[in-house]
Order: sequence, then C-alpha cells, then structure tokens
Amino acid sequence: MTPQVKLKEFRQVSSGVKRRKLVDRIATVIVTIGGVAIILCIIAILVFIGLETVPLWQGVKSELASSFFLKESPDLASYSLDTSDGVEFPFLAAGTEEYKQIGFIVTNDGTAVFLSLKDGSTVKKVQLPGLEGKKLTSAFVTQNNVIYSFGTEDGNILSVRTNYKITFEGDKRIITPDIAEGELLNVGSSPLVKIAYEQDDDGEGSAAAGYTSDGELLFVATEQQKSLLGGGEKKVLTHNITAGLDDAKVTAMELDHFMRNLFVGTDSGKILHWDISDKESPELLEAIDASVNSHTAITALGFLIGDNSLLVGDAAGNVSVWFEAQDMTSPRGKVFQKIHTLPPLELPVTNITSSERDRGFIASDNGGNISLYHASSEQKLADFKTDGGSVSTLAFAPKANGIIAVDRNGKLYDWDIDNPHPETNFKTLFGKVWYEGYSKPEYVWQSTGGTDDFEPKFSLTPLAYGTLKGAIYALLFAIPLSIFGAICVSQFMHPALRNTIKPVIEIMAALPSVVLGFFAGLWLAPIIEKIIPAVFTLPIVLTLFTLAMVFIWQYTPRSIKGKFKEGSELFLLVPVILLAVVVTLWLNAPVEKFIFGGDYKSWFYNVLGLQYDQRNSLIVGFAMGFAVIPIIFTISEDALTSVPKHLAAGSLALGANKWQTAIRVILPTASPGIFSAVMIGLGRAIGETMIVLMATGNTPIMDWSFFNGFRALSANIAVEIPEAPHGGTLYRVLFLAALLLFFFTFIVNTAAEIVRQRLRKKFGQL
Amino acid sequence: MNKKFWKSGDPFVWLTGVALMFSLLMIAGLLYLIAAKGLGFFWPADIAEIKLKDGNMMLGEITGHERIRGMGALDKDEVAIFRTQLKIGNRDLYGLDFKWVDDDQIVTTTYPKFAVVLERREWGNMFGFIKEVSGSGTIICTGNEECWPVLAGLIPQYTRIADEIKSIEKGAIGGINMKIEDLRLDIKGLRSEGASQEKISKVEAEIKEQESLYKEQEEKLSSLYQDFNKEKFVMTSIDGREKEMPVGAVVKAYRPNAMNWLQKIGLYASNVWAFVSEDPREANTEGGVFPAIFGTILMVFLMSIVVLPFGVLAALYLREYAKQGVLVRIVRICVNNLAGVPSIVFGVFAVGFFIYGLGSTMDGIFFKEALPNPTFGTGGILWASLTLALLTVPVVIVATEEGLAAVPKEIRDGSLALGATKFETTWKIVIPSAMPAILTGLILAIARATGEVAPLMITGVVKLAPQLPIDGYFPYMHLERKFMHLGFHIYDVGFQSPNVEAAKPMVFTTALLLILIVVALNMTAIIVRNRLRKKYTTSAV
Repeated sequence: MTPQVKLKEFRQVSSGVKRRKLVDRIATVIVTIGGVAIILCIIAILVFIGLETVPLWQGVKSELASSFFLKESPDLASYSLDTSDGVEFPFLAAGTEEYKQIGFIVTNDGTAVFLSLKDGSTVKKVQLPGLEGKKLTSAFVTQNNVIYSFGTEDGNILSVRTNYKITFEGDKRIITPDIAEGELLNVGSSPLVKIAYEQDDDGEGSAAAGYTSDGELLFVATEQQKSLLGGGEKKVLTHNITAGLDDAKVTAMELDHFMRNLFVGTDSGKILHWDISDKESPELLEAIDASVNSHTAITALGFLIGDNSLLVGDAAGNVSVWFEAQDMTSPRGKVFQKIHTLPPLELPVTNITSSERDRGFIASDNGGNISLYHASSEQKLADFKTDGGSVSTLAFAPKANGIIAVDRNGKLYDWDIDNPHPETNFKTLFGKVWYEGYSKPEYVWQSTGGTDDFEPKFSLTPLAYGTLKGAIYALLFAIPLSIFGAICVSQFMHPALRNTIKPVIEIMAALPSVVLGFFAGLWLAPIIEKIIPAVFTLPIVLTLFTLAMVFIWQYTPRSIKGKFKEGSELFLLVPVILLAVVVTLWLNAPVEKFIFGGDYKSWFYNVLGLQYDQRNSLIVGFAMGFAVIPIIFTISEDALTSVPKHLAAGSLALGANKWQTAIRVILPTASPGIFSAVMIGLGRAIGETMIVLMATGNTPIMDWSFFNGFRALSANIAVEIPEAPHGGTLYRVLFLAALLLFFFTFIVNTAAEIVRQRLRKKFGQL
Repeated sequence: MNKKFWKSGDPFVWLTGVALMFSLLMIAGLLYLIAAKGLGFFWPADIAEIKLKDGNMMLGEITGHERIRGMGALDKDEVAIFRTQLKIGNRDLYGLDFKWVDDDQIVTTTYPKFAVVLERREWGNMFGFIKEVSGSGTIICTGNEECWPVLAGLIPQYTRIADEIKSIEKGAIGGINMKIEDLRLDIKGLRSEGASQEKISKVEAEIKEQESLYKEQEEKLSSLYQDFNKEKFVMTSIDGREKEMPVGAVVKAYRPNAMNWLQKIGLYASNVWAFVSEDPREANTEGGVFPAIFGTILMVFLMSIVVLPFGVLAALYLREYAKQGVLVRIVRICVNNLAGVPSIVFGVFAVGFFIYGLGSTMDGIFFKEALPNPTFGTGGILWASLTLALLTVPVVIVATEEGLAAVPKEIRDGSLALGATKFETTWKIVIPSAMPAILTGLILAIARATGEVAPLMITGVVKLAPQLPIDGYFPYMHLERKFMHLGFHIYDVGFQSPNVEAAKPMVFTTALLLILIVVALNMTAIIVRNRLRKKYTTSAV
C-alpha cells in the first residue's frame, strides 16, 4: 500500500468519524431539547389550569374614562350650584346607556340634556312633558336606566322613560336618545321631598309614595278598571299613611317592582315596612330599628336585582343588605332581617344604586367616596373618589361596566369598571353564604337558574364533600377485600396459583369505568333496592358459613387435605360463598320482616330519618370499590411478597402459625406499602368520573347517609363544562375544581410514591 | 368450638380467602352477566302468544320473569306472585315496547308457528301476522302463510333500493353539499379580501353547476323513493289492529318459531355482523355501532401516532441523556404521578388550551370565512386524540424507562468500546432491546385510551355524528369533525336515551364489545411482552 492510499483511507475514515460525531451531537441536542420540552409541556398543564383560575381572585380594574364640569356645557351653564341658602341642587338625575357613549342629566326645571360622555357636548335637549313650568323637587330611579320618576313642587309625580335607538352608518354606531312621557300622578299639593314610584310592565297599574315638605307621607296606587265593554278607566287610590311615621322624618324610600312592599327609612334610624299588595288598604307590617337604638338616620335605600333584597345606608356610613328569611318562630313565617353587613363608608351614605347584571351595587357618601360592593360575598370590590365632595347623583351603567356620578361642584365622572367575576372570593367558593331565599347561610352549588335575576351559587364545598364521600364508601368496600385478598395470595398460596390469580385481578383494573358505571346504574341499583336487608346480612352469613367450612376442613382426613396444592383448598370457598349468597337472598324477606318491620325503606325513614334513593352512595361504593380493588390489591400484594423471606422463616421457626406470622411479622413490615396502595386507590376513587356520574343522582347535597347520592367534583365538571361560556365565572370555577382534583391526587400519589421508595430502601437493608 | 380451632389461625386464613374468592367471583359474575346479556341480544327468540284471563291476547318475546315485591323466603300463608315481562314491540300501535303481566292472569302460553317478526327502519320491531300484500293498488296475496314467501322475496329487492338511496343521500348529495358550502365560503373569503367581481362570479358559476348536479341527484332520488313505496302490505297485531306499511319499511323479516337451530344461528351471525357494520337507527337504540367503532379506533390510532414518539423521546432523555440527580428524580416522580391525575382534569385542560386556545386561534387564521361557526374552535377528533395522548404519555414514558433501565450496562459499554457513538449505541443497541417494554407501554396506553370516556365527553364526542371523520372528499381526513365513541355510546344510550328499557340490551352488547377490545389489547400487551422478553433474553446471551 502506498502512503498516498493510506492517507486517502485515513481521510475517508476521519470524515466518516466526523459525520458520525455530528450525527451524535445532533441527536443529543434533539433528545435533550425534545425531552425537556415534553416534560415541560406536561408540567405546563398544571400552570395553564392554574392561570385560567387566576381572574377569579383578581380584583376590579377601573379607570376614570372622562370627567368634566357640567357648567362647561352651554345648555347647563345657567344653573346655580350654590345650595347654601336652601336652594336645591339643580342636577337631579343622571344616567347612561348600554354602550356608555351617551349620558344624560335631568335638571330641576325639567330639562333632560343628553350629552356625549367623552367631552360633554350636548347631543339632544328635551323638555320633560306635562310639567307646565313647575319645578322638580325630587327624583327616583324606578328601573335602572329606563324609567325615572320625579316629584314636583305641586305634589305630582312624573315618570318618564328613556329610549335609545341604535342605527348603523357603515361600521359606526349611532345612538339617538329620546324621552317618552310616562304617567303624571297626583299625590298631594305640597312639594314632594322624597318619592318612590313603580309601575308594572304593561303600564296598567302603578304605585307611588310621596313625602311632602310639610311632613305628610302619602301612598297612591292606580289600577286599570276593566269594564265589560273593554274600555277602562284608571282608578286612583290615595292613602295618608303619615301616622305610621311616629313623628319621625322620612329620609329615604323604596318600593319594589312587584308593588308589594314599601320601605321607608326615617331620621330616627327605623325602617318602616308597609305591605301594599292590597292597594285598598296598605298595612304597616313592622318598624325595625335598623340602627339598634343609636338613632342613626337611614339615608339611602335601594334594591338589589330582583327587588327582594333591600340595601340600606345610614348616616354613619354603614351599608347593609336586608331580606326576608324563613323563620318559623315568627307569626308571618319569615322575618325581615339584616343579612349582610358590608364594609362601611366614611360619611353618611347619600346614594345606593344596584347593578342590573349581578348582585353588585354602588354606594356613595357625603365626602365623595364611592364604593362598589358585592352583596352575597360581603365584599367591597373597589373605591372611587370625587374631588368635589358629596356625590349628588349616582348611576350604574346597564352592563355594570361603569359608574356615572355628579358631585356638588357639578363635575361629572365616568368610570370604566372591568369586573368579570364579582361573586367569587374564598368565602363564596368554599364557605357558607346566606343567599336570598335561604333561611340560613349554607354551602350551595347551583350554577344555572331559570330567571334573569338568578344568582349563581358556586360553593365547591358540597362537591368536594361528594367526592370524598364517594371515595370513602368505595374504600370501605375495597380495602378489606383487596388487602385480605392480597394477604391471602401472597402468604397462603402457592406461587403457581399466585401467578394465575394476579393477572385475572389485573384484568379487572382494565375494565372501562363507563362499563362499571352503566352496570351499577342500570343493573345493580334496581336489584340492590330490592335486597337491601340481604346486603346487610351477607357479611354475617358469609362469616358463619366460612367458619363452618373451616371446622369441616379441620376434621377432614389428611389423605384428602394432602391432595390440595398449598392455598388451592381456598377454592372450596367458591361454592360456600355461592351458597351463602343464596341463603342470604332467601333470608331477605324474613330479615326485612323481623328487623325492618316488613318494609326497610319506611323503617330507615322513620327510625333513622334516611331517605332511600335508587342510585345512592352504596351503589357507588360497590362500583367504584370494584374499580379500586385491583389497584390496591396489586400494590399491596407486591409489598407483601417483597418482604424478605428470612423474616417469615424465622417467625415460623419460632413456632408462630401462618396467620400469626402474616399478621404480626409480614403485615407490619409491609404496612408502608399497603398504605401507599390505599393512597393510590384513594387517588383513583377521587378522580373517577363516569362511575359517579352514572351511579349517583348527581344532587349536590351534604349528607353522610349511604342511601342518597351526591355530586362529585369530577362529574360536575363533565356535566357543566360543555355549557359554561368561555371565560365566564362558571368556566373558571370549573377550572378551579379541576385544579383541586389535580392537587389532591398529586399530593396523595406523591405521598404514596415517597413511602414506597422508602420501603424499598428498608427492604434492601433487612 | 374448641381452643385449637381458633389457635390454629385457620379461620382467619380462610376469611382472607373469602375476600379473595369474593373478588374473583365478582369479576366472573360481571363478565358472565355482560356476556350473557350482550350475546343474548342477537338471538332470534321464540315468539309467545299469551292468553290472559280477561280475554286479551298478547304476542311477543318473553324477556323477563320475576317475583313481585321482595325477595327471599315467604311466610306460610303467603303465596309467591310472579310476573312475566314481554317485549310486545309495535311501538306505533301500543306506545310501549315492554309489558309486565302477572303470572296468575295468564291462561295459556303458546308459540304460534307462523308468527312474523319484522325489524323495521322506524318504530322498532313488529310482532304479528301478515294480512295481505298489495302492489300498485292490486292485492297480490292474502293470508299469513300465503304472503310469507311473497314478502320474504320482496324484502331483498327493497334492501337494495334502500342501500342505493343511502349511497346517494350520504355519498353524492353529501359531497355536492360540501362542495357548495366550500364555494360559498370561498366567496365570503374573496369578498372580505376585496377580490374582483370577476373572480367571484366565476365561483358563483361553479356553485350553479353544482346546484344543477344536485337537482339531477334529487330527481334520481325521488324516483327511487317512488319505487320504494310501490309495494305495500298489511300486518295484523294479535289484538286485531291493522297496520299498513310499505315493504321498504322492513329491514328484516323472520318467523323464529318456524326456524330450526341452524337457521337461527345463521340469523344470529347476520345480526352480529349488522351490529358491527351498520349505522345506528332510532336515536341509537337500534341498528349497529359501526360509526362508534370507527371513531374509537381512529381516535386511538391518532393518539398512538402522537404518544409513541413523544413518550419514547422523553424517556430516552430521562434515562440516557439527562444527568441523573435530584432534579431528574423529582421529574420522574412527577411523571409517575401524572398517570394518576384524573382524566377529567386533562379534559378540562384540553377544553381551555386546545379548543378555546389553539382551536380558536387556528380558526382566526385559516378558517376566517367560516366564522362565527367554529371549525377547530370546538370539540373534534383531533383534540380528543391529543387529550388522550397527554393522558397516556406518562404510561409510555414509565414503561419505556423501565425497559431502558433493564438493558444491561455491559451491552452499552461493549458497543461504546467498539467505537460506536452514544447515538448509535442508543439507536441500534438500546432501543431494540427495550422494544418489548416500549410496545407494552404503547398497548397499555391504547387500552387505557379505549376505555376512557370522561375527557372525551367534553372534547368532541357526540351521540350521533352525521359523517365519519374519514371520507372520500378532500382532504379525506377531517380532523375537525366530531365523532362517535363506544364508551360514550354506552353512557348516552344507557342514561340519556328516552327509551332506556328498549335500549338496555343494546348497551350490554356495546359494553361487551368494549370490554372485549380492552381485554384483548391488555392480553396482547402481556403476550407481546413475554414473547419479546424471551427473544431478547436469548439473543443477549
């Protein structure tokens, strides 16, 4: 070979090596990057689910979109803002529409000015009809942003309706505001200082209360009288109800949309409650001392959405929510009481206005503080402050995404609010909340309801309770069967037998849970319902039969005994179990008769107060237990088998019998393994979805009874997430539920894993 | 009992035996029950004619027999009362499929030899006798016996027409509709891009063309429908009510009481075949489960494509490339534990990340013209498969790692000593040796995925999918489509169906099918593992 050829070969080889090295390096990079990326991706699942729930805890985002002095508008410049010598503040009411483009101001001479909220330029100016030059003395918002009513100096109440017509010019939205005349109702002859007014949806009837400057409280109702000929005339009923005031002065009034309740707040700190459902004779139901003897005047009243909860603000700045809760001790069966106390404002409350979307409301005080509250969760969500002192008019935007306020300096503020999840905090998600219509604070999960003013109730506690209940019943069934089974297979059976039995039980783990759920719900549940007494007697009968079998076995001649491979004699139990089952079924009717008086359902109901549902926790216990048995069995069997043989040999050599060895030597040594088996079984039972979905009634109740169902976190997610709007509160709460499940199973499994690794080390040292 | 009895420890040993045997019996019982109920569904059972004390007659299949009120022993003076459940069919006449009769009301039970069972396209089965068969106004024959051969001869003819109608409706017309829809979206897209009128009118012309094709097919269809309703026949139920229907309404007609065993086995086999190969009918309570089988298999297949490379890659990294330390140990525990995280959690993640995150973004970029109708921004087979891939990737990682760990260090060292690079060693020596473990991991992943339902319910499984995710139209594989799944089919038919009683046997059959698939997969995993293990242990020596 010539040196040249050698060099060529060498070059070839070296270039081959180079290429191979390059490939190797590339592969290393790919595997490393790929591997790390995949593992990060898996872990990112947790992060993603967590991030989706973050907005639930985030507070309100708000900013001042615009503010300007109303005086700058030429149409409003002429009004005097000086209220020192008893002159009323000229701007009585303010409001806005859905898109928060246009706002309006109603002045005391009956002019409504619609202006652009961006810069205060006038869009339209309308003279309220039917006033004939009379001044307005008071205002009342009937239906937020739609119907406004005003009291006049000659004792009338005028209601008007705002309309916004929306047209499009290309992509540009044009809003044309207008005012439609409502009703002009005569209440008295003196100026009205405070008014309350409501009308029903078809405009046929209305109710109003007016407090005049000379201290009279008048209640007026109109009804459409229907005559046979079809035409009708309005009947007006006027009642002077001043006597009920007990010489106090009226400081606030509120009337509900159903025209059933009139609430009057007085300067003596009382809330007077009239039942006005009978328009012929309003009845003073109760006079509640809301200030508990401190004579703090009630300065503002309002209703939450649905007009059932009364919002009360007083001169000390306290804000509270009241409604009628069921109470059987009172003669009416319900008591009007203070339910929620909210964080107070600093100075006397001047205005309270509620949201049309949720159970949030805003309240303002004399010092120009405005707070955004949520009633059920009893929290203050945000604070706002004007720079011109007391807030004179306050309005909540229709989509609850903004606040319009006018202060004493005539400055208008337009705040934008981003408040997607006002109803969730730690307390509403996990604690007891007193919801409207409930007689006491409770854990409630009820995510959807029929009406617009339905309040979603998101307590995860009953769901977590259901999850635990199902898991515990499943473990109650599975633990004895699987651990005793594992002891039996690992300690008392020939290895050849073990090698056939183990795969069979492992196949059980592979059974799809939907099959088990279906089987439990449709086949097992109706059968168990018929044989409940037998279900309870089976363990006893089975034990007795087994003991009898053991007795027979001990007297069996050795010649027969010897024919069985170690442990295979236990297969003799199969006919014994079958016989025991047959006998228990036969005993079903007698047991039901002698113990349960012939009908176990009514016995349980009368004696223990338990109601029997067909799909109940017992069924779930069986089905989910069935799913968990193979898991616990396999892991504990592994732990028991891997206990070093010399321990058992030593124990047996010292004269202990097989059972003593198993229970006193093997079991304690393997107990950490068994613990981790139970933990992993628990993890599986907690996350199981289909079985709990199919074999329970899915009612979110909190009750340990094994005769009724529950709703588990997992099943709840499966049922509700398809209907949860993306990004909504329900959607995020369901993500939170998933996060809980994730954490719970992760912790349980990690604990099990650590215990197992320790155990392995321990066995290595033995 | 003497002292020795307890002291021996035997009673306790036997009690642990009870626990074990009880578990084994439960498994056996469950499998037996599902098999018995599931397999019995296809058997053409005899038709019983029951005469009641009040003179009423009933005709149907006996499906149940049980004691009324309670179970177990009776008092001396009590008499057990039994009742019999009859599947009476004729839902259009009676409104109910099943009826319970108290046994003491029954006078006689006979099996009329020529009672006819009709399996119909609508309204479920019909039990009765043929009165007459007529074709285009003229009566061909009258009487049950005379008409049977006529009807039996006509049915295959009509089955052919029905198949043709189906192929036109689903195939040709479906295809044309899809094309028209695509073209419409094209126009929308062109408009939003501000394309010239010329281009648009070109597409519009194409739509016209397709529409005329559609008309053609429609005419063909209507003439087929006319043929379909040509011959009619009248059935009499046992209580004398008559029902006229076109021959086309019948899928299958048979006279079980007149059949021998061989014939019945033949019919049984054809029923089984129909079950696995046909589309469902009557809100999934009748017909077959073919789309569900198809959906399940396709989904698992897609999942395998994703899960195998990623799982193996991650395991390779963890075992071969990463520096073994505390961090890797923690990661390993985490991956292990992910296998125990509830499947519904993965479903929730998929809803948030795949559907609302990725899917909506994809819609915004690629399927703008279809908006606001979501294409990928809603559940579909792609998302469901990816969810299951996430769910099962820990299974593959854990199994592969075990396999890699089992490859002896000597083999690696030998390869490296001979000059192979790390990659070459891994690729040519380590991975082939670990192949059994990798395959086992994959099969276990598939078995788990097949039985999983909860995460699928929220990521794209539906009770009735109008089209399969694969068809003959471009792009052939429609990953955005919703699909049917065997496990969900069980849940839906068993719990959401309006007629649970009638659907129950069908659910048992579906459950049996699902169990068979899952158990077969698990067994394959075990067998493959053992075989390959043997092969490699021998070759390594």
